[in-house]
Amino acid sequence: MPRRDPPINRVVLTLALVALVTWLSLPLGSIAPNRIVPGTAYTIAAAIGWPLALVSCLPLLGLLALAWRPGRLGYPLALGLTLLLLLALPAWLALMAVRHLDPELPQARLGIGAAWWLALFWLSLLLIELRSRLALAGWRLALLMLPVAVGWWVAAGWLEPLALWQELSGRRGAFLEAVVDHLLLVGGAVGSSLVVGAAIALAMRQNPRIERLGFALLNFLQTIPSLALFGLLLAPLAWLASRFEWLAGLGVSGIGWAPAFLALLGYSLLPMVRNTFVALSEVDPGVLEAARGMGMSRGQVFRQVRLPLALPVVLEGVRITTVQAIGLTAVAALIGAGGLGTFIFQGLGQAAMDLVLLGALPILAMALAADALLGALTRRLDHRTDLAAGAAP
Amino acid sequence: MSMALLTRWSAPLVWLGLLLALAVGGEWLEPLLRWSEPEARRVLYPQADLLTLLLRHVQVVAIASGLAVVIGVGAAILVTRPGGRDFLPLVAQFASMGQTFPPVAVLALAVPVLGFGTWPIIVALLLYGLLPIVRNTLAGLEGLDPAIEEAARGMGMGGGQRLWQVELPLAAPIILAGIRTSVTVNIATAALGATVGASNLGAPIIAGIVNGNTAYILQGAVLIGLLALAVDSLFSRLLPARQ
Repeated sequence: MPRRDPPINRVVLTLALVALVTWLSLPLGSIAPNRIVPGTAYTIAAAIGWPLALVSCLPLLGLLALAWRPGRLGYPLALGLTLLLLLALPAWLALMAVRHLDPELPQARLGIGAAWWLALFWLSLLLIELRSRLALAGWRLALLMLPVAVGWWVAAGWLEPLALWQELSGRRGAFLEAVVDHLLLVGGAVGSSLVVGAAIALAMRQNPRIERLGFALLNFLQTIPSLALFGLLLAPLAWLASRFEWLAGLGVSGIGWAPAFLALLGYSLLPMVRNTFVALSEVDPGVLEAARGMGMSRGQVFRQVRLPLALPVVLEGVRITTVQAIGLTAVAALIGAGGLGTFIFQGLGQAAMDLVLLGALPILAMALAADALLGALTRRLDHRTDLAAGAAP
Repeated sequence: MSMALLTRWSAPLVWLGLLLALAVGGEWLEPLLRWSEPEARRVLYPQADLLTLLLRHVQVVAIASGLAVVIGVGAAILVTRPGGRDFLPLVAQFASMGQTFPPVAVLALAVPVLGFGTWPIIVALLLYGLLPIVRNTLAGLEGLDPAIEEAARGMGMGGGQRLWQVELPLAAPIILAGIRTSVTVNIATAALGATVGASNLGAPIIAGIVNGNTAYILQGAVLIGLLALAVDSLFSRLLPARQ
């Protein structure tokens, strides 16, 4: 059945309409006199006045009109308007700060409200829709996002009263250290699980008994909740460190990076082994036959045929593992492993929600970035889609 | 006949029985737990009895998974109808984004909006469990043989009739498999809720980490593991045997 394009783009229409409603009705931000007291919330009209609030809606109204009649030029224009809306997002907060923050109160801080976060969310969904309509390559979209990133970077200078910013400026060193710790733990766990996982998968291919036993063991490991696995490693590692001095010398102890690393490794192994195993097993026998027929040796077949065909599936395993490890490392903060989770649990303990945000937002960003980057790499290396992509300029 | 029925359901029954026995009769295990933690003053989690925690755990997972099934299957059905097809890429993308968000981060972000307690973990689980359900429902509905659709139409079935009497029954095994993945993952993840004040089987684990008491951690972990095994084997009986 041929699909005819409907005259109205209902996706853009719905998203723009919902964005308009949430933008006008929910609080844009809140002003709090200090760190602990909950702030007073302001909608956009109360925050920057009706005239400016209406100005802030104009691009959304433009999007509604374009969604109604998306002509040839409609989609590029809609993309431009969406980028403009994204670019302007920090400016409304800055305006609100100028209007409502009392210069007499240096402790006062500006919290970001639901309308702002939801606007960011709807605009991201709009970008996804417009990108698929325009069949835009990933790097082109990244290039188009560059002005937005620069704009936000400039705007960060005006947003000093932002609560998030104030939490950060007090602990810039600790924040950097937490980011580095987080990345090191994730990188270490994913890297070692790749090596160990590949070894296990190769051993499994040699022997079906190892295969059954290995999968049973790894599946069992996954049913233990992450929280418990971290906790259960405390006592054995403390015992080991007390028995063997060289382990203690390495910094191994019941709390800290050692139990976190082991638990992360355990959790990462199942997706890694599964994907590597599937990747090595499910190569078309015809392809292998042809390679052998061409006179390739066993080693050559492995390096030149099996491995390139397996690589995208293995990378898919790396992507799943990395995203999972970024989240689990946050939990590892509970056993003193450091990382961004420290801020989350500190903030929850002090009921300081801005500190919680300081931990949670970078974790979210890291997970999304890892997912996007590794996903793009997988698609690039996938030979089946490579042919299709090669046809397009 | 009843014997065959019993053997068929024996695995879930064994897991369920073990789970309930451990939840109710935790005191009998004291010597065993004592072995894991010989010096501690107490080895049984004192704050609440395990059965209550187990029921709260089941409740949280049931609410979150129930909502995820309604939203996920509903959305997947809507975007595979002719009227909603425009929204298909968006829904698929949103579901996969939901699983990219780490549950801890979602949990932490939900606290300022929903307060401490049970609701943040329900939101986090709902978001985390959506992807397997949406993905499998889409795969199940899209993967149907067009000839079957054609035949149903030829028999004079309307859109709603085709959905309920043909498409959903045929896609049911794949949809159920998605729900199974979602629920089993959520049973383990729900323990995180204890970090923001939800009382469930994660509570003994947190108490154990804070007090350095392995026996508490074991009680929470073993019950969660048994719950996951029981539910998983129940699902495997509901699904037709794989060839």
